[in-house]
Amino acid sequence: MTETMIHLSGVSRSFGSVKALDQIHLEVRRGEVMGFLGPNGAGKTTTMRILAGLLAPTEGSVAVAGVDVLDHPVEARARIGFLPENPPIYGEMTVYEYLGYLATLRRVPGVGLKQAVERAMERCGLTSVRDRLLRNLSKGFKQRAGIAQAIVHSPDVVILDEPTVGLDPIQIREIRALIRELGGEHSVLLSTHILPEVRMTCQRVAVIHQGRIVADDTLDALESRAHGSTMYYLRWRQPPVIETLRQIPGVGSVTPKEEGWLIRAESPDDPLPELVRLSAAEGWDLRELTQAGGSLEEIFLQLTTREERPDENEESKA
Amino acid sequence: MKAIFTIALRELRGMFHSPLAWSLLAVLFAICAYMFNAGVLTYQIQMVEYQSYGMRGGLPLTERTIAPMLGNAAVLLLLLMPLLSMRLIAEEKRQGTWPALACSPLSPMTIILGKYTGLLLFLAIAIGLLAIPPLTLYSFANPDTGQFLAGLLGLFLTAAAFGAVGLAASSATENPNVAAVISFGVLLMLWILSWMGNASGGVVDKMLAYFSLLNHYQNFLSGIISSADLSYFLLLSAAGLLFARQRLMAERIQG
Repeated sequence: MTETMIHLSGVSRSFGSVKALDQIHLEVRRGEVMGFLGPNGAGKTTTMRILAGLLAPTEGSVAVAGVDVLDHPVEARARIGFLPENPPIYGEMTVYEYLGYLATLRRVPGVGLKQAVERAMERCGLTSVRDRLLRNLSKGFKQRAGIAQAIVHSPDVVILDEPTVGLDPIQIREIRALIRELGGEHSVLLSTHILPEVRMTCQRVAVIHQGRIVADDTLDALESRAHGSTMYYLRWRQPPVIETLRQIPGVGSVTPKEEGWLIRAESPDDPLPELVRLSAAEGWDLRELTQAGGSLEEIFLQLTTREERPDENEESKA
Repeated sequence: MKAIFTIALRELRGMFHSPLAWSLLAVLFAICAYMFNAGVLTYQIQMVEYQSYGMRGGLPLTERTIAPMLGNAAVLLLLLMPLLSMRLIAEEKRQGTWPALACSPLSPMTIILGKYTGLLLFLAIAIGLLAIPPLTLYSFANPDTGQFLAGLLGLFLTAAAFGAVGLAASSATENPNVAAVISFGVLLMLWILSWMGNASGGVVDKMLAYFSLLNHYQNFLSGIISSADLSYFLLLSAAGLLFARQRLMAERIQG
């Protein structure tokens, strides 16, 4: 189970004078779902396009399932399924024709073709729309067809570039369940900037920022690293002055957020009991107390720019 | 090999799923049939005049009816082929379907040959249609079958070369309209090169005359199939395909 399916080593890529990727190292093992995180423009898509063989790296080596992408591009591509940001859909084909077409091009033998297409449709929940033209399908179904084409030839490696963007919550839940399921058979590299998605689907996470990998670890390890710098969100009716809060042991930083305060706890002391005690004793009248953000979000923000904070990441965790 | 035909058949089907291919065939057929009719009627009048002078024998039928129609068909295709070929690669890139092909285990040349074969299949249908009006001649006259077939072959090769140039243009841009303009410009230039080529007879003029599409096509219309003309069209087509291949390879490096 430790076989390396994706291997990027010292990969750099420049576009003119802009260095999009700088010495990337990345490994994904068989059966693993790896979350690939980073702010927009950090190099996620470039990395994925290099893996898929759409783009050649300026330097470094790339191997998929042990096949060098640069030396044997065609062989390597036979082992990859790729869903780009926009699903590559031929509007004038039906779902069945579309998957059959791409399965043929991807060397699914004639006898197993029907079965492969049926299976991909079933896994992606497309069976009910199999004879509909792709152009007439909803965005969610198009996205699923995009995923289906990435897995129809049972590739060793599946690369998904932001697969849940633009879907409604029910569709997102279904797609995430599918991605989790894919992990068993395929190795999956999943790019996203939606952190809860990573928590739900991935075992391991790599964070990319300004073309460099700034973290690469299991989710548990990352979260335990984040432990001790938990964030609390507190709202009082009679809030104290900010200096009072800062003097409480264990309080790292205090920042106003909406009507309350975002307080970062610093190890080793957890300031929460003291905060609650003082709230009662001093009559600040505590109205709300939540642990703000996941610790993964915290790690992500530490690793990347602080001013970038997309709305999706603001989900609070009680 | 199988992949080439898989792509070609999808391409052909894609063409017939859009109104473009149908309207193109309709226009091509209507205009050529009209020209052919006009040609036959003119020929009849000329024959009557010719014989009224007491001349013996007749005017060459194929030369005066079929060949002009096929010649005009090539001019029409010069206008229409860029519209057909412009979508081959550029449209896939614009629609975002290109990664599905480019990430499949296919070499760039396989993709290009697949697309090109699809275009050739369409051409075969179009030229098959254009053979119908001349065939009606056989019911009441004796056209020169050899010259007729040579003309059809010439038309096919000419249009195939148009398509290869169009494919090259389509690989060079993500905008199909730009691809159409480029390929139309290149083809028209190649077509009219001989205008200068016949001026003085110097080396440059001879070269221009050699590169002119029109000169080579004329030979086919006169019923002459020479290896020089054959190789001209094959080389031009190959050049277009190789250019497209280079573009696709360079794209991975340039991004």
